[in-house]
Amino acid sequence: MSYDAIVAGGGHNGLVCAALLARAGRRVLVVERRERTGGILDGVVSTVGRLRPALVAELELERHGLELARPPIRMLALREGGAPVAFWADPGRTAEGLAAVSGADATAYPRFDAHVRVLARFLGELAEITPPRLDAGALGDWQAGLRLARAYRRLDSRSARELTRALPMAAADFVGEWFATDAVRAALAARGSLFTAMGPWSAGTTAVLLADSAGNDGGAAGQTAFATSGPAALAAAIESAATAAGATIRTRAEVARVLVRGGRVHGVALASGEEIEAPVVACGVDPKTVLTRWLDPEEAGPRLRWRAGNIRTPGATAVVDLRLSGPPAFSGVDDPQLLAGRIVVAPGIDHVERAFDCWKYGGLSERPYLEATISDGSMHVLAQWVPHDADPDAVGDLVVAELERHAPGIGSSVADRRVLTPALIERDFGLSGGHVYHAEPGLDQFFAWRPVLGLARYRLAVPGLYLCGSGAHPGGGVTGGPGQNAAREILAD
Amino acid sequence: MQERYDAIVIGGGHNGLVCAAYLARAGLRVVVLERRDVLGGAAVTEEIVPGFRFSVASYVVSLLRPEIVRDLELPRHGLAILPLDGTFTPLEGDHLWRLNDHGRTVRELRRWSLTDAEAYEEYGILMAQMARFIKPILSAVPGDQGRIRPAEWVSLAPLARRFAGLPRRQRDTFIQLMTMSAADFLDQWFETDPLKATMAASGIIGTFQGVRSPGTAYVLLHHYMGEIDGAFRAWGIPRGGTGGVSLAIASAARAQGAEIRTEAPVAAIDVRGGRAVGVTLRSGETIEADAVLSSADPRVTFLDLLEPGVLDGQFAADVRRYRFRGSSGKVNLALDGLPEFTCLPGRGEHLRGAISFSPSVDYMERAYDDAKYGRFSRRPYIDAIIPTLVDPAMAPPGKHVMSCFVQYAPYHLADGGAWDDAHRQAFRDTVVDTLAERAPNIRDLIVGEQVLSPLDIEQRIGLSEGNIFQGELSLEQLFFNRPVPGWARYRTPVHGLWMCGSAAHPGGGLMGAPGRIAALEHLRSRSSR
Ligand SMILES: Cc1cc2nc3c(=O)[nH]c(=O)nc-3n(C[C@H](O)[C@H](O)[C@H](O)COP(=O)(O)OP(=O)(O)OC[C@H]3O[C@@H](n4cnc5c(N)ncnc54)[C@H](O)[C@@H]3O)c2cc1C
Ligand SMILES: Cc1cc2nc3c(=O)[nH]c(=O)nc-3n(C[C@H](O)[C@H](O)[C@H](O)COP(=O)(O)OP(=O)(O)OC[C@H]3O[C@@H](n4cnc5c(N)ncnc54)[C@H](O)[C@@H]3O)c2cc1C
Repeated sequence: MSYDAIVAGGGHNGLVCAALLARAGRRVLVVERRERTGGILDGVVSTVGRLRPALVAELELERHGLELARPPIRMLALREGGAPVAFWADPGRTAEGLAAVSGADATAYPRFDAHVRVLARFLGELAEITPPRLDAGALGDWQAGLRLARAYRRLDSRSARELTRALPMAAADFVGEWFATDAVRAALAARGSLFTAMGPWSAGTTAVLLADSAGNDGGAAGQTAFATSGPAALAAAIESAATAAGATIRTRAEVARVLVRGGRVHGVALASGEEIEAPVVACGVDPKTVLTRWLDPEEAGPRLRWRAGNIRTPGATAVVDLRLSGPPAFSGVDDPQLLAGRIVVAPGIDHVERAFDCWKYGGLSERPYLEATISDGSMHVLAQWVPHDADPDAVGDLVVAELERHAPGIGSSVADRRVLTPALIERDFGLSGGHVYHAEPGLDQFFAWRPVLGLARYRLAVPGLYLCGSGAHPGGGVTGGPGQNAAREILAD
Repeated sequence: MQERYDAIVIGGGHNGLVCAAYLARAGLRVVVLERRDVLGGAAVTEEIVPGFRFSVASYVVSLLRPEIVRDLELPRHGLAILPLDGTFTPLEGDHLWRLNDHGRTVRELRRWSLTDAEAYEEYGILMAQMARFIKPILSAVPGDQGRIRPAEWVSLAPLARRFAGLPRRQRDTFIQLMTMSAADFLDQWFETDPLKATMAASGIIGTFQGVRSPGTAYVLLHHYMGEIDGAFRAWGIPRGGTGGVSLAIASAARAQGAEIRTEAPVAAIDVRGGRAVGVTLRSGETIEADAVLSSADPRVTFLDLLEPGVLDGQFAADVRRYRFRGSSGKVNLALDGLPEFTCLPGRGEHLRGAISFSPSVDYMERAYDDAKYGRFSRRPYIDAIIPTLVDPAMAPPGKHVMSCFVQYAPYHLADGGAWDDAHRQAFRDTVVDTLAERAPNIRDLIVGEQVLSPLDIEQRIGLSEGNIFQGELSLEQLFFNRPVPGWARYRTPVHGLWMCGSAAHPGGGLMGAPGRIAALEHLRSRSSR
């Protein structure tokens, strides 16, 4: 059997890319190292609300078994010494609740939500395009430029100005211009720091915050949508769409090298030594791995290797799964519905920033910033910022201790727990630095220079070699965006 | 006494003076009104301790636009820039010393790291290329990104074209410089910690950011900007202190016919029928003019000097959110002799350049962390120079002045604290302790001193919240967003009222660019009327 294309790495983006190529009539093979596809989606992710609606439609994922649930509550922000604040899908309802915290903040919230939606809509459109070339040959690239201009023109002039101002801002400043209460500011700003190595005072966290709401109905509170039978169901649905279109999936097959012959991609070599041929290889793994480990140094050249080696991948997120023997009781929460969305422990801007400070110097904060969800009697907790090789037990203890402050007694109801530190994420999913976004979503690795300038159009160094994972524009998260954009470019060539 | 001018310039800082000089040169009748009894604003020399003259605030020149020096013939008006050679970083038991002499610097770096010594050369060449690329931006007029009309983007077109034409490597570096933190950027090149810390320090001067904060890499270029202007020495200390620059510009302005008044604080900008028609001084005197150009910062200009209600609510709100957040202080010392560093004893050449207290990246970052939470750094970054070693006239024979620029000293203190005498004293002691750790004899040498907290900078120099650049030079306050999105072209919503100080593009520093561009824009608008 010969293939037109190999997708190396079967995370959700790799699967999306494979499905789209197969639907276009290409013979596609997905090669995945683990025993199942889905990558991080497989048992690690919780919310999937960033998934592109157009992709769900195009791949008919609902027919392939995907069912999404959107609870009315988006986020419950736990506070220090105060009742939690609920952020609902309906901004008006959120404002009603905020009135008890601050009248001014309650008034500001719906306007802020609308502002976030306007800016995020632009980023949503940006996410769909292939970044333009920025070199002298760029004149031929009018299509991307035109789409960009059209999206930009849809902004009113005030929003256009605000956009250029907001993107490089620190999230703490962005929310600080709207809200007076520290707890409200922190709850809204924290998302700009999630999965990153940047505290809320770091420039560019507003871009991360807005990107999280781009192309979905997240708004200020952020998206909260679940796949009803778990995130793996999403991976299964995409895989099913891919195989139904004729793609072949091979698991437990680890790619070791990209084969290049005569200056063109020729296939991949597996760790077992087996070689598989195809004129196109699309990589769903992180770009640093591809460029510094999979590609022959001679083919990459010293300059590209240097640049690829400098792609920043500071993994700083840990995940702690807690199986609970009974439903947790949070102080001040009487309605179980309140616990149906994201539960956020980010009680103050400085509080979150201090957790980041510890990590900067290689330490682990006693008071991490947490985002948790509860499903099927398990609590799924993300913890920021965790050093790469932190002791998993210490991280687990810390997370439970933090939760204990808000849900006294929760510790004794933990029946079982699993901890993934960045080092373990790196080991289990093969991601450089254990960075779940494959490359830091900083301003320096954004859009037309993600992962690096000159390689942002999904084509890497050698003809036939492509990037289709989160290290490519529009970046990490369960969006399917990089996979979809990459497939479009592969088909165009 | 009613006089009528073509233009009034508010503020006799170096930008106001540059602006006035260009206007006068074009034949306008101009008057400069300065609040204080001395000219110069933040570029000012004053005899604080009898016999000792201090560059009270700014202390080195690196960015003064060469076209201004040429157009205004500043050397003829007394401007002389004396060389400041090298940067000396004292450490515990060792030091890092870079000089203008490239060979010596590379030899010194080899002591630390062979790869760094090699990378240093390549780095220097690349940075000089980048500085050359950036330079035209410093004299460009930003467009309005809120409009899609192609005309608004014209200011970017030549830049975009030049960018597209750059070799890949330089394009890459430019984007990194605009978006990365100084520390991350340097991490790609070097491994020597004190080297990275000392270089990164230039990225945080005057900002409320740390060396690891994204967006700080860009300022690394400034250091190279001055050096590329070949003929004229643009990097060093002005003879007579930084006030020497202001006085030379003032002399040039007067020679062109501009009138300059000190002790003439403006109390209000007079607006009639939506037009600025003149100003009223605190004394009650009114002065009329066709146009008013203000080099005071936007908070002063729009919120203090205009009647409430003149500005529409949105613009006023945008001015209010413009960020100042001063983060620097200054300690000027009158010394009986020269400090002696334990790590390199003697009175050698190492004292003739910048002396940088920046031993490691973490040290710099911790200094920032203190400020983030509202206190001055327990161990601050200090950039010290001893001007008397190149300009002995600044002090009595055998005596010296030492200028210490200190970061961080946040304007807003935690827990409602205020910059009172006790705080200022504690800040001063921290600075002297930090100096004394490396040069223990310093304590015995001090015969006089001046300590400026950010509040002092606000009150004395007139810079809101003590921000040395009239507003933070963070990415969101640059180019077409400086100082207010949509109003980056020196004009304001009030007809006839213009901005010409550091709060306008391209921002702060002893550069003169905002004053010059504002004058040229104003002249252009007059001729097209
Ligand atoms: C704990 C956690 C929670 C998260 N929660 C959310 C969330 O709630 N919402 C959200 O939108 N995002 C979330 N994310 C982020 C999101 O999951 C990721 O950004 C996204 O899933 C990445 O998808 P991907 O397809 O690009 O790459 P991955 O999922 O990383 O897929 C890469 C694939 O490549 C495979 N691979 C690696 N090396 C090899 C090799 N040598 N040969 C073959 N295959 C290889 C891996 O096994 C993996 O399957 C979360 C991430 C984590 C870690
Ligand atoms: C401590 C410190 C150290 C610095 N170090 C350096 C350095 O080493 N190198 C460098 O390049 N830059 C340095 N800077 C920055 C640089 O000095 C300033 O950015 C620059 O001098 C500002 O010039 P300006 O003309 O725009 O404004 P200013 O110098 O602020 O001038 C504004 C003038 O307006 C006057 N004014 C205000 N209100 C009124 C009113 N109502 N009526 C009349 N007059 C009024 C003020 O008195 C002042 O003279 C430093 C600044 C400080 C504070």
